[in-house]
Amino acid sequence: MPRSIPDQSKFAPGLTLQLDADQLHAFFPLLQKGVAVPATVGCTLKCLLCDQFSIPADYVTDRITTIFMDNRPVDDLEHTIIQDGSRVTLSAAMPGLVGATMRRGGFYAALRQGISHVSGGAAAADQHGTVRIKLFNLLLAELGPLVLARGLILEPAELADLLKSIPDRPLDSSPGTSRVLLTVRFNE
Amino acid sequence: MDKIARIDMGAAGGPKVTVGDLGEYAGLGGRAMTSLVVAAEVHPLAHPLGAENKLVISPGMLSGTTGSMTGRLSVGCKSPLTGTIKESNAGGQAAQVLARLGYAAVILEGKPEGDDLYKIVINKDGIQVIVDNSLKLMDNYPLVAKLRQEYGDKAAYMSIGSAGERKLLAASIACTDPELRPTRHCGRGGVGAVMGAKRVKAIILDDAGMKMRPPKDPDAYRDANRKFVEGLRKHPVTGEGLPAYGTNVLTNVLNEAGGYPTNNFKSGQFADSAKLSGETQAALEISRGGSATHGCHRGCVIQCSGIYNDKDGNYVTKQPEYETVWSHGGHCGISNLDTVAKLDYIDDNIGVDTIEMGVTIGVAMDAGLAEFGDDAAAIRLMEEVAKGTPLGRVLGSGAAITGKVFGVERVPVVKDQALPAYDPRAIQGIGVTYATTTQGADHTAGYAIATNILKVGGDVDPLKTEGQIELSRNLQIATAAIDSTGMCLFIAFAIMDQPETFQALLDMLGSFHGITMTGDDVVALGKKVLSAERDFNARAGFTKHHDRLPRFFYNEPIAPHNQTFLMKDEELDEVFNW
Repeated sequence: MPRSIPDQSKFAPGLTLQLDADQLHAFFPLLQKGVAVPATVGCTLKCLLCDQFSIPADYVTDRITTIFMDNRPVDDLEHTIIQDGSRVTLSAAMPGLVGATMRRGGFYAALRQGISHVSGGAAAADQHGTVRIKLFNLLLAELGPLVLARGLILEPAELADLLKSIPDRPLDSSPGTSRVLLTVRFNE
Repeated sequence: MDKIARIDMGAAGGPKVTVGDLGEYAGLGGRAMTSLVVAAEVHPLAHPLGAENKLVISPGMLSGTTGSMTGRLSVGCKSPLTGTIKESNAGGQAAQVLARLGYAAVILEGKPEGDDLYKIVINKDGIQVIVDNSLKLMDNYPLVAKLRQEYGDKAAYMSIGSAGERKLLAASIACTDPELRPTRHCGRGGVGAVMGAKRVKAIILDDAGMKMRPPKDPDAYRDANRKFVEGLRKHPVTGEGLPAYGTNVLTNVLNEAGGYPTNNFKSGQFADSAKLSGETQAALEISRGGSATHGCHRGCVIQCSGIYNDKDGNYVTKQPEYETVWSHGGHCGISNLDTVAKLDYIDDNIGVDTIEMGVTIGVAMDAGLAEFGDDAAAIRLMEEVAKGTPLGRVLGSGAAITGKVFGVERVPVVKDQALPAYDPRAIQGIGVTYATTTQGADHTAGYAIATNILKVGGDVDPLKTEGQIELSRNLQIATAAIDSTGMCLFIAFAIMDQPETFQALLDMLGSFHGITMTGDDVVALGKKVLSAERDFNARAGFTKHHDRLPRFFYNEPIAPHNQTFLMKDEELDEVFNW
């Protein structure tokens, strides 16, 4: 599936920030809480991550060892269908018995029986929508720039809070009164 | 480690020290030593705070060597909190020093008449038991500072704070870290109250003049340790996640899974969890000149701890662990890390278990003593414990007692020990371990230790219900064995995922002791320990009916999954059927 382009017409006005790389950490609280991003929905979770977000497949396999969709641990990326409004949470490997239990397809998956995501359904025709993405731990720094470069849909209050946390932000980036698609790029 | 010291605190004429050989306990260490001694020598109906109980202190089988991650110290007794057998362990320097001094165990026996308070000095010249009433009711930080003036900065210190002297059921035993702060605690089960009942305030361990314990095969041991360390460093949990964020990295994940008990187990999610997360905590620590990467003992390569400073850069406490941040945080509806850090300091200073105390404060909030989310009230309640007021003594006796005194129905305990930070309605399998462990509710009783490699009890189908019973059984067996080695439990992830790292651990044990160690030997050791513990508990009056979760877990669905605990009693009764 070709990489899809978010339908930005619904999110005006657009705002772009060009920041120094060391300002990435200012976005970590927001990325932990979760951000709405434009996406093509009706596809599989694997398609979302690998095709739309352009995350290499081996990184998804080896590094993103814990994935939740709508609060349920996911084991099968290829049969988990993304819906409009789905909440997708990505984490690296976690410590503890529960960390091991939450692992995708892990040996201890039985211990979370009852809350695991039940895969099923088939991919539908592509349509524009939004997905709420959360990033945890090591993935904040590793995937944060990629998510931010695709654009976040922020409510005015969210944008205002975010801008307060970014020192030396560009002067023309004041929040307005409507939802905004914020794109963030970082200097090399 | 070729000798056992027995100190009869109640001997006529004053405490009497006897040092003997290992006898039937040869080859044991850590939990294997403490549990087998308690099971064999303590009357199961003994009062935990009476003269018949014994406090067994034992370093692990590899403690005191050049091996990495070998610094866990086990303390065992009959628990005044649960009434069961108890093993509680901690990091810090004590295990390494005690092992280098040659003691496989130090056993405190009897109980002195009168009010004198004692300190015990153990060094290369032997053991002295000294009356020191100047230490009365001192808390751990000032106590260790005072002892350092006399015994210096090369020693390791074990101590109890005022909570232990008052024999509060949540009292812990503190062990100093490499910076000589009393931050590492044998926390669970009230072991500090048993030490207090024996009127022992502190144990000073000085290994000056002693050497590292020599392996039987030094070359093989060095090679195995090198491979073991390589395995830890290359694994994403032990080499990256834990060093960067510590155990509190679990906050976000547990909250996402809906298994983060909030407001005394009323919900599985806390709206402000991100404010408490390990990611937030690490960034805050670094920004204030503290550290998010720090070892609790020399020889630790995982470095899962840290230093928590206040906004002015002054030391507050060590990095609070996940269970502490949860118990004092989300469990009580509190989202301020500075409040959690202050409570963690109070816990360490007066010497109480952070899990038990946080859960107790939550139960007290349910009783109406404070509002959920009231930071100042939580601190005030802990200060009652520190002062030893009547209310403080109730709270310091744990969640079960507090619930009874104030008529609270939702009291999250098993065998009167507070549940840790994972809701068993969301993660059913961990509820099996909470219910059935010999120790009372304990998240470390069934850790994720290489059961896939050990194949304890055969292969498990992770998609079948009975898989949860099998897994809990296997996890408890493997954990009992690892608890006996002196190894930190956090090695679990590397040995679980990397067979060569598991083999390196077996080779360390084998080359040190001059034996060939296999996975079957590990399983046999774990079963031996658990069998002894189960037998003690049975003789103490515990039956299968005690291996249950509180009823509210069966009756109250929890958000977001709206699920109750579903495991049947008959299934729980199969856990120890091997």
